[in-house]
Amino acid sequence: MTGIASGVGAAASARRRAASRAAALAYRYGLLGVLAVMLVLFSLLRPAFATYPNALVVLQSVAVVGIVALGVTVSMTTGGFDLSAGACVGTVVMVTALTMVRFNLTGGTAIVAGLLTGLVVAGVNVLLTVVAKVPDLVATLGTLFLFQGLALIVTGGQSVAPGMTVDGAPAPGRFTEGFVWLGSGTIVSVPVPVVVFALLAAAVYVLLNHTRWGRALYAIGGNAEAARLAGIRVARYRALAYAVSGVCAAVAGILLTARLGRGDVGAGDPYLLQSVAAALIGFAVLGANRPNALGTVVGALFIGVAINGLTMLNAPYYAQTFVQGALLVGALVTSYTLRRIR
Amino acid sequence: MAGVVTFAVTSVSKAYGATTALSSVSLDLRPGEIVGLIGTNGAGKSTLIKILSGATAPSSGTLSFDGRPVTFGGPLDAQAAGVQTVHQNIDDGVVFGATVADNLTLDTLAGGGWFRTRARVRTAAAAVAPGLGLPLDAPVESLPASARQQIVIARALARRARLLILDEPTSTLSEVEAGALAARVREAAATGVSVLYVSHRLSEIEALCDRVLVLRDGELVAAFAAPLDRAAIVAAMLGPAADLGPTRTGLPAEPGQEVLVADGVRAVRGGRAFGFQVRAGEVLGVTGLVGAGKTELLEQLGGARPLVSGSLSLGGVPYEPKDPHDAIAAGVALAPEERAAQSIVPGWSVRAHVTLPWLRRHGRSGLLARRSEHAAARRVIELFGVRGPGPEAPIESLSGGNQQKVVVGRWLAGDLRLLVLDEPFRGVDVAARADISGVVRERARRTAVVVASSDPQELHGLADRVLVLHEGDLAGELPIADATPERLTALMSGTPGSGTPGSGAPGSGIPGSGATERGGAR
Repeated sequence: MTGIASGVGAAASARRRAASRAAALAYRYGLLGVLAVMLVLFSLLRPAFATYPNALVVLQSVAVVGIVALGVTVSMTTGGFDLSAGACVGTVVMVTALTMVRFNLTGGTAIVAGLLTGLVVAGVNVLLTVVAKVPDLVATLGTLFLFQGLALIVTGGQSVAPGMTVDGAPAPGRFTEGFVWLGSGTIVSVPVPVVVFALLAAAVYVLLNHTRWGRALYAIGGNAEAARLAGIRVARYRALAYAVSGVCAAVAGILLTARLGRGDVGAGDPYLLQSVAAALIGFAVLGANRPNALGTVVGALFIGVAINGLTMLNAPYYAQTFVQGALLVGALVTSYTLRRIR
Repeated sequence: MAGVVTFAVTSVSKAYGATTALSSVSLDLRPGEIVGLIGTNGAGKSTLIKILSGATAPSSGTLSFDGRPVTFGGPLDAQAAGVQTVHQNIDDGVVFGATVADNLTLDTLAGGGWFRTRARVRTAAAAVAPGLGLPLDAPVESLPASARQQIVIARALARRARLLILDEPTSTLSEVEAGALAARVREAAATGVSVLYVSHRLSEIEALCDRVLVLRDGELVAAFAAPLDRAAIVAAMLGPAADLGPTRTGLPAEPGQEVLVADGVRAVRGGRAFGFQVRAGEVLGVTGLVGAGKTELLEQLGGARPLVSGSLSLGGVPYEPKDPHDAIAAGVALAPEERAAQSIVPGWSVRAHVTLPWLRRHGRSGLLARRSEHAAARRVIELFGVRGPGPEAPIESLSGGNQQKVVVGRWLAGDLRLLVLDEPFRGVDVAARADISGVVRERARRTAVVVASSDPQELHGLADRVLVLHEGDLAGELPIADATPERLTALMSGTPGSGTPGSGAPGSGIPGSGATERGGAR
């Protein structure tokens, strides 16, 4: 009786051990595995998928959202959450377009104006969260509405395009050549936005993983009181996190304007949810279970590959959102549930 | 086996991977018996408690209740069987933002009609804890830790407790509160409940327990029945060739210049202003009951909270830290009281904890040098004899005492003028205490040190002078030689008249004579 019981127990515990090993593997490599499977599958089904030009198409499609996601990632490291990133992209698109089209200024000025706009959004976020102590999620939700609205107000609800009518006369300016190059140019056959994405990803990776500022940001996210008592100036670092997020969103907005060749109302709106999804999917990469640059890049690629592949397989465009949702849910289960089973 | 046995544990072992936390432990608990469980950090106490309370399953061995074998699938099974556990961290057991009555009736929340009227909750609460003497409508966070603990214990007993497990119940309580707790534990035992009492404090074990079980390295190495012999217990706990505790190595060097001068400061708003100073080469102890204002005072010194009043000067220069960053820059380090809440970043390695306050030193232009960090962590590990899997392991994989060595030890990596330690020995076993004490003592030759503890015993062997606080006021300042238990108790309880001032050693100017007092007190 006892012998049988212990035999059954041993088998059960062996099964449990195997299950927990599998969970541990899935926790670390699951997402990368799914990405690899997807790449192989799409390549087999559609030979055109596994080509250099198509790889550039995928990268081009994720560059802007990836850049926004990098910023959101940094905002998450301190335990914050920048919901205003998408609205910031939209506002920057409007500001850069207006600078060139309506005020007839140079592309360089437009870029500076765009970056400053990003910092202004970050400044408002910092005022609300760090100074006024409003919780991050609701504070940045407020900023989201503020700047979405502001972008509409400054343009009177219209899109900004060269030759548009301003006060009865055509607008004087146009997009400068150099500025347009940012969106459609290439460096050694690689589109400029992809290059910018790669550079920013490397910069954010180094910032978070190899600098004392990154260490301090993660310390605050892990235990803000312990960080404070260890001599870290929590308010400054939280401000830094939002500033990085604002600048990333601004860079994304500038590249988007350049690619679109116009300032579309609501151009930035889709970028919030996609970038948040990329950052959250990133939690599940290599078992990091925290916001991290590498994971965010993988998360953005993941979304890009899935959509590109499915499009090639003639999946309807309206299925894209659902696919993104499924990816996000899968990643969330990986990082939150498997960790516990492990 | 003589007598009725409520709960029996038979050759229970538990292994975590390759580490054996418990090996073949057997014990039995009889109704109405208070059994002490003692052991150094990492001896296996927590594991045994987890197994008894159903939080984890043993790798082998059996549990039985009233002679019937039981298997707990989880804590709720254990609770249903009558095993009630009160964990060390009291605030895990109360819901903040709710009233005392709400907290007392948490277990019956699911039943009892649709509407929870205030009157009904109060009645239910009174039934759970008759004669608790706490304001039922007060928010639970407004109560001191001891009162919150009373709530948790009352609730545990109301759940038809057969076995009550108390894990370090006095670690956040003052001596007076601990006395009240002991009375409640005896009451519970008198009704037939078995009590398993886990504590580091020998005096409590001695006063309260009928039997004491000693765990060492996962094995039950000794059992003692009352009357208990403290020296034998400590010897069993530490094992062969271990010291009985910290010994003062000679006199401190000539007290040097004044490092910190506090003038007109208050521990808490509304307290009386007082002044004190700390010299180089000196350890100043601060003691008082829980709530006396020790932490508040120390946090002001470390820049963690704004100065209530008065002024501080450090090395003759005004010292006005706005935050801990300023304090550290000025050469003042504060190791805070609550390790988990105030020092530990979950998931981080030992190395990252050691270097967190000193990131600027480990690398150039912002980039961190892993090798230099690793070396710093190694130094702390060697200096304090931190036992564990090394600098890259997550700090949670260390035992409590070794975690404490890391979070205290990291401050010694700096070039400090004043080291401020708030309850550095909380939840730390005798051996780890001796390690920490020794290093701090050694460091005090160069640095001024302030150490707060609600257990004055801990200050003997470490401090040269003791400030006694009572409800936010300075009740007295004694050289360690004069700090007899009687005088300290009198000052701590705010009744200096009843003390016996003559009991101090005649040569009170010599701190070293404190050793004699200590010998006498043991």
